[in-house]
Amino acid sequence: MASITTNGPDHDPVSLFETHRTRMIRDRMLANITLAVLFLGFLAWSIWISRFTPDRLAAGIPRIFEYFGSVMPSLQWDMLFEGRSAEGRFPAGSVGYWYNDFWKYLRLIWETILMALTATLLGTGLAIALSFLAARNCTPYPWMGAAARRFLEFCRGVPEILFALILVFAVGIGPLAGVLAITIHATGALGKLFSEVNENASMRPVDGIKAVGGSWFEQMRYGILPQVLPNFTSYALWRFEINVRASAVVGFVGAGGIGAELSHTISFYSDDRVTAVLLLVVLTVTAIDLLSERARHTLIGKESLK
Amino acid sequence: MLEFKGLTKQFNSTIAVKPATFTIPDGQMVGIIGRSGAGKSTLLRMINRLNEPSGGQMLFQGRDITALKGRALREWRNECAMVFQQFNLVGRLNVLTNVMSGRLFHHDFASSMLGIFTARERAFAIRALDRLGMAHVALQQTDTLSGGQMQRVAIARALVQEPRVMLADEPIASLDPLNAKVVMDALRAINRQDGLTVICNLHTLDTARQYCDRIIGMQDGVIVFDGTPTELTDRAAREIYGAEAEEAFSEAMTSTALRPGASAPAQPEARVVN
Amino acid sequence: MSTLTYAAISDVDIAATRKRHPKAFGDPFATTLKAASWAFIAVYLVWSLGFFEIGKLLSASDRAWALITRMVVWQDMATWQYYNIYKGIAQTIAMAFVGTLLGTIFALGLAFFAARNTMPVGVIRHAVRRMLDVFRGIDQVVWGLVFVRAVGLGPLAGVLAIWISDMGNLAKLYSEAIENIDRKQVEGVRATGADTSRIIRFGYLPQILPVFISLSLYSFESSTRSATILGLVGAGGIGMIIIERFRAGLFDQVAFVVLNVLVVIAVIDWGSGLIRKRFIGERGH
Ligand SMILES: Nc1ncnc2c1ncn2[C@@H]1O[C@H](COP(=O)(O)OP(=O)(O)OP(=O)(O)O)[C@@H](O)[C@H]1O
Ligand SMILES: [Mg+2]
Repeated sequence: MASITTNGPDHDPVSLFETHRTRMIRDRMLANITLAVLFLGFLAWSIWISRFTPDRLAAGIPRIFEYFGSVMPSLQWDMLFEGRSAEGRFPAGSVGYWYNDFWKYLRLIWETILMALTATLLGTGLAIALSFLAARNCTPYPWMGAAARRFLEFCRGVPEILFALILVFAVGIGPLAGVLAITIHATGALGKLFSEVNENASMRPVDGIKAVGGSWFEQMRYGILPQVLPNFTSYALWRFEINVRASAVVGFVGAGGIGAELSHTISFYSDDRVTAVLLLVVLTVTAIDLLSERARHTLIGKESLK
Repeated sequence: MLEFKGLTKQFNSTIAVKPATFTIPDGQMVGIIGRSGAGKSTLLRMINRLNEPSGGQMLFQGRDITALKGRALREWRNECAMVFQQFNLVGRLNVLTNVMSGRLFHHDFASSMLGIFTARERAFAIRALDRLGMAHVALQQTDTLSGGQMQRVAIARALVQEPRVMLADEPIASLDPLNAKVVMDALRAINRQDGLTVICNLHTLDTARQYCDRIIGMQDGVIVFDGTPTELTDRAAREIYGAEAEEAFSEAMTSTALRPGASAPAQPEARVVN
Repeated sequence: MSTLTYAAISDVDIAATRKRHPKAFGDPFATTLKAASWAFIAVYLVWSLGFFEIGKLLSASDRAWALITRMVVWQDMATWQYYNIYKGIAQTIAMAFVGTLLGTIFALGLAFFAARNTMPVGVIRHAVRRMLDVFRGIDQVVWGLVFVRAVGLGPLAGVLAIWISDMGNLAKLYSEAIENIDRKQVEGVRATGADTSRIIRFGYLPQILPVFISLSLYSFESSTRSATILGLVGAGGIGMIIIERFRAGLFDQVAFVVLNVLVVIAVIDWGSGLIRKRFIGERGH
């Protein structure tokens, strides 16, 4: 001990530790304060730019409640399941009155789901094809890989509804524009995920197929595809959930599905029709989420058993 | 006859194989030995062009292998089968499909993409599996097999290629002694019965001595020994493995054989016909 | 062991092998099922493309070509009012930031009501969860339109839309993070005799905070993406400029704006990736 303390009070281990500790605490505090200042500065700038001031918010909130009050259905217990009257109308206060256009909504929701399904199938097919070109370990030529990755980035970067806007102009109003728009965006999103899965696949089977004289297509088909197919399926199911949501809104710009009805109802009426459509959309989206989640879990469960 | 004329391979700054010139007659069983990093794998992988040679030439029956491209190259790979240390099978496909993939070269685009194999291919693949005592697992998923079983499946896949040359890159390095013997016996049987040229990278001297007609020793990319097992004296071996490796080739220690000399043809485990 | 060549395999050999290994020659039922499901998918695709009038694609080629040309050939670039464009982009980022921050704050509270281990009362938990389902089930753009109807055109509606949908998403993800918490660490703190606030401070927070921050950063990224289109329904940001110029047929300017937005989003992704790495390491999601 003596030999240590002879170094003087500045150098004994305890005080060294103490100075080191204070310096570390000071450094960390400095970093935290800088971060807090940056954060608050960015917040202030954001509030100013987005004009999200308390007075505007205060003025807006009562109007929000007013609006939501006006779109709530006025259901009455005793009338709830009342049928059509002699003139063929539902009495006010019944579910039938609230959902007067039920069959029209249902037809549009059906169209929405079909749009999402077709777009998911097409997008998955294209994404699989492109993912083999885009994956660094699979691509036959590096320049082709780089080009495929840029293309996928572009497809993924532009939102569906923007593609829909442009396609509606090109091919006209209707679900075709929506299907194409969602297909393009889904191709980009899935293509990136798929190519990452490919990059994580083992190259040994590919070497094996190469050594038997297999072409590039055969190397991918037998060397990579069996390894990645379960992941692809799971991602595609998950994408289907997202595409259902997307196909419910591309109608805002005229690209088919329930979106046009939704947009029209919200823009032109402020009565119970708004909640009628919205509720139906929420129920559909939630139900499809649940189904697809269950399918994915059984898929993963089956995989882990093997 | 496989002729090497100054065949060489360079990776960036390291020269993995320095210009090699030698000839392998048909039907010979050749063992290549050498320390880790000596360039054995590189040499072998150049033969079926999984690695592109950086210089020199290679001729098979007078045909220039180094100049092949496209379909001709794939045809050569089909003629020159390869067995890997890590088997390189497709784990998620069943054994039969893996074996049948040895015939992919003969398929057209549509049938290979759709995975359609003929009854004759199936029968041939089963025969090949049977020959290695593996027919009973034909429909099992490949990654559920043991290492020794997988290597035998890999050899079956090589066999259905009907190759003229069989390359094996450390085929027994990840196997236990019993399986190692089964696999080496199979390779030798193929060499003797089918008359295939077998070129085999090995890391144990006694295996090379026991099974090969000819041993090639490599050190730092150079062929430093080329002769029969009897010519491979202790001194010569010491040279191949370098001075440091006093114990590395102490044959008893690196031995993988159960009992050298007693190599009856492998009798695979009891066969279950499904 | 006996050698046999492929060419020498006779029909008799095939029949004999088939007899010994019948399953190796393909299960006719499984093969049919597989073929049938592929056929079903193919038929569905053909039918649905017909249903969606794929033919319109062919007849639209002139129009599409004109559109593409207009997007690629940029004209009168001096008159493009760049100030408005970049102000719109700045507004989009600002909306996303304020909306995500508000969403995060509210989600923090709601998550504890939606997680099984912090809210034992089933009725409340389910009520909160169903409410969150509604927030998430309605797309951000739809919320945008709803708020435009309620409070008028402009970024306020956009912020509200981002707020409510981020709140729904984040509260669900947060509550999952809370449910996945490691009980042992909490028990360890409880064993020291700590009170509830200390249990939360030392047992829960260190485990969930990094995950929360990471999730919120991701949420900010995805909100900047989605906020670009909120303007299409009048809820502020760059989308308003896109739709305005699109309707005026100024397709070259639309292309320019979209390219700029793509670059800005890439920069934000990169920046938030840096923050994630710097403060959270590779933990979280
Ligand atoms: N793809 C590559 N890129 C760069 N250098 C390589 C590559 N492959 C091999 N090498 C180098 O070439 C030399 C020979 O390697 P090789 O794999 O042929 O050795 P080996 O004799 O098979 O060794 P081992 O017994 O460990 O398998 C080594 O120095 C190695 O580092
Ligand atoms: Mg090697």
